[in-house]
Amino acid sequence: MAATSTAFAFEVAPAIAILPLASFVIALFAGKYLPKGGALAGIAATGGSLLLSLWIALTVAGGATYNEEIYSLVTTPNSFDLHFGLLLDPLSALMLVIVSLVSFLVHLFSLGYMNDEGERGLPRYYAGLGLFSFSMLAFVFADNLFMSFVFFELVGLCSWLLIGHWYREEAPPSAAKKAFLVTRFGDYFFLVGVVAIFATFGTTLFAGPESFPTLAEEALAGAGGGEAGGGAGELSTFGFGPGTWFTVLGFLVLGGVIGKSAQFPLHTWLPDAMEGPTPVSALIHAATMVAAGVYLVARMYGFYALSPTALAVIAFVGGFTALFAASMAVVKRDIKQVLAYSTISQYGYMMLGLGAGGYVAAVFHLMTHAFFKALLFLGAGAVIIAMHHRQDMWEMGGLKEKLPVTYYAFLAGSLALAGIFPFAGFWSKDEILYEALIHGLNDPLLLGGYLMGLTAIVFTGFYTFRMVLLTFHGEPRTHTARNPHSLGWSVKVPLVVLGVLATVIGLINMTPVAEATGLHIEYLHTWLEHGIPGLTVEHYDEVLETVAGYSAASLSPLLPAVLSLALALAGAGLAWALYSGPDPDHHTERLGDIRTLLMNNYYQDEYQVWIAETFGTGVARLSDRFDQSIVDGAVNGISEVSLLSGDRIRRIQTGIVSNYATLLTLGLVVLLLSVGLAGGWFL
Amino acid sequence: MVAVQFYLLLSAAIFCIGLFGILTRRNVLFFLMSVELMLNAANINLVAFSFQYGNLTGQVFSLFITALAAAEVAVGIGIMLVLYRNFGDVDVTKATTLRW
Repeated sequence: MAATSTAFAFEVAPAIAILPLASFVIALFAGKYLPKGGALAGIAATGGSLLLSLWIALTVAGGATYNEEIYSLVTTPNSFDLHFGLLLDPLSALMLVIVSLVSFLVHLFSLGYMNDEGERGLPRYYAGLGLFSFSMLAFVFADNLFMSFVFFELVGLCSWLLIGHWYREEAPPSAAKKAFLVTRFGDYFFLVGVVAIFATFGTTLFAGPESFPTLAEEALAGAGGGEAGGGAGELSTFGFGPGTWFTVLGFLVLGGVIGKSAQFPLHTWLPDAMEGPTPVSALIHAATMVAAGVYLVARMYGFYALSPTALAVIAFVGGFTALFAASMAVVKRDIKQVLAYSTISQYGYMMLGLGAGGYVAAVFHLMTHAFFKALLFLGAGAVIIAMHHRQDMWEMGGLKEKLPVTYYAFLAGSLALAGIFPFAGFWSKDEILYEALIHGLNDPLLLGGYLMGLTAIVFTGFYTFRMVLLTFHGEPRTHTARNPHSLGWSVKVPLVVLGVLATVIGLINMTPVAEATGLHIEYLHTWLEHGIPGLTVEHYDEVLETVAGYSAASLSPLLPAVLSLALALAGAGLAWALYSGPDPDHHTERLGDIRTLLMNNYYQDEYQVWIAETFGTGVARLSDRFDQSIVDGAVNGISEVSLLSGDRIRRIQTGIVSNYATLLTLGLVVLLLSVGLAGGWFL
Repeated sequence: MVAVQFYLLLSAAIFCIGLFGILTRRNVLFFLMSVELMLNAANINLVAFSFQYGNLTGQVFSLFITALAAAEVAVGIGIMLVLYRNFGDVDVTKATTLRW
């Protein structure tokens, strides 16, 4: 009985992604005729996905896993096959629940944000949400890198559609294009990486004995741990040592990750993406688009764990991004901009965790961040509704009394974001920093990442509470803030659900408490321990230690936890000291040139545009010349020759039958003579 | 019994006469007659080899060719009539509109 219900659960698992796809079709073609513009179909579909995901999670909790091909696109004997498949293990089951939950709540919230505000183009909006959820869910349960790539790109396409939802205005289409192009720049590397992994291993499976992480591990073991020449077993490493080559492959795939997860230097699209509707921002930042990059690294962690260089770069880029983005969030006036930079910063932490060997910590932060960032964005959305679509925090203030539900939910999310005990973000961020510290004591690059991450905590605490205080505390600074728009239930329910989650979800993996008391309460760690062999935490730890040479210093987690909490409180306290009055000053104005620099985002856009214009147009001009002269020249030349020779040769069509007969006879004679000559008749 | 070479010589001669007719004559009627000669040259060849090897297939084939020639003449004379109607002549060098 148990076995059959398990099998049945896995049989229906594809429906998790198919349901939102169906809602996409319904909203697209019938949305005009449905009440609420297709929203109900989307809510029903994502609700169904959520229930199915929970069922899968329960099944996986029972110890079952699933790794099967479900649809084959191309099969060639003896070389490679392209297929779609399902990989359901603890990691993907967890992620499915997160994605479908956030997606469901975002659909619900959209009723209040889009429908009640009388927005146009609702069917298009809900179709976009449906397709977005479908792409991300399919990406999550992909069993091979090729399928991941396909849905990775679809996610990018959906972000383009949704960010540019208000396409009649000037800014959203431009932001949508920017998001598409910047992430696409990273995806080029990813595409090359997928092809290179195909060429190297002949497979892109994530799990099982024939998967590429396993093959790579065997190749490294076979080559004696190293750099001994080109061939490693049957694998062709293109003349590099296997270790070097695997690092190169890791970097190529990392290009896509950096683009999607908005890591430095490809983070510039994300703040602009705030031009989209706020529920879309919540979806992009919490569960779908941006999470895809980090999830991909976690998915193929067995491969990255083989390359200490790639890991160190991931950690350093992550730590740097965490600090870099947090510093920009400090001066922003727009509530959504603050949240955008905080997202970049938090994903930096996740990358730091993955690079530092903290697989569980990074997945933990991915999960807690999904909840509290969705909460914060939806909270900001509620504030924006109340403020009649004004987003400048200096026009708000004093909303605490008017919007109590939003305030407390938002506060819970802010405490989680800032990493204040005992809210979710404290546990996960602290665990990442702890992992970075214990591994970083033996590796300067990791230690650098740790220190940057630690510094970013102060900034996080400061900008989070600057945002909370400016928005909700003090005296209302404008007429709109004195008379906010009221909020409906569809806005409040998601806030309450996420508020509760953001408060308590951290309790599932309380590492410092577990260490101090000796209790086995690290449930997430236990959860990620079982599953498919080769995709478990133990395996990753073992590989990290033997292949990547990571060694953990023995250190109690309590002291670092207290340190990061103290820093977060210091940041929050500074914000409190500066902004808690009834009518706070524009303190950041006093930063002078630094503020100008931060407001302009370190001139990242400017230099990237400069690079694109200088080198991009140069390359484009050269390509154009090549195309115009050589490619077009060849094509036009061929057609010229054909035309000219056709014009000459057609003259033999005289219309006189006798001439044709003569030509026929002559042809026959020539044929006979040549056959005869070749056959040797006349010799 | 006559050796097969002589039949072949006869056939080649008749074929060449037919060919000569087609290349030199301008009248469609002569064209048709020349084509008949060439077809029958082929028939002679078939019958001669059939006789040589004692295999009837060649003779059967020549019957087919005769039938085909009859059909061809029917079509050919039809074309000739149309030609005359359109150009007022049966001279093949006059009908030169079907060209570039």
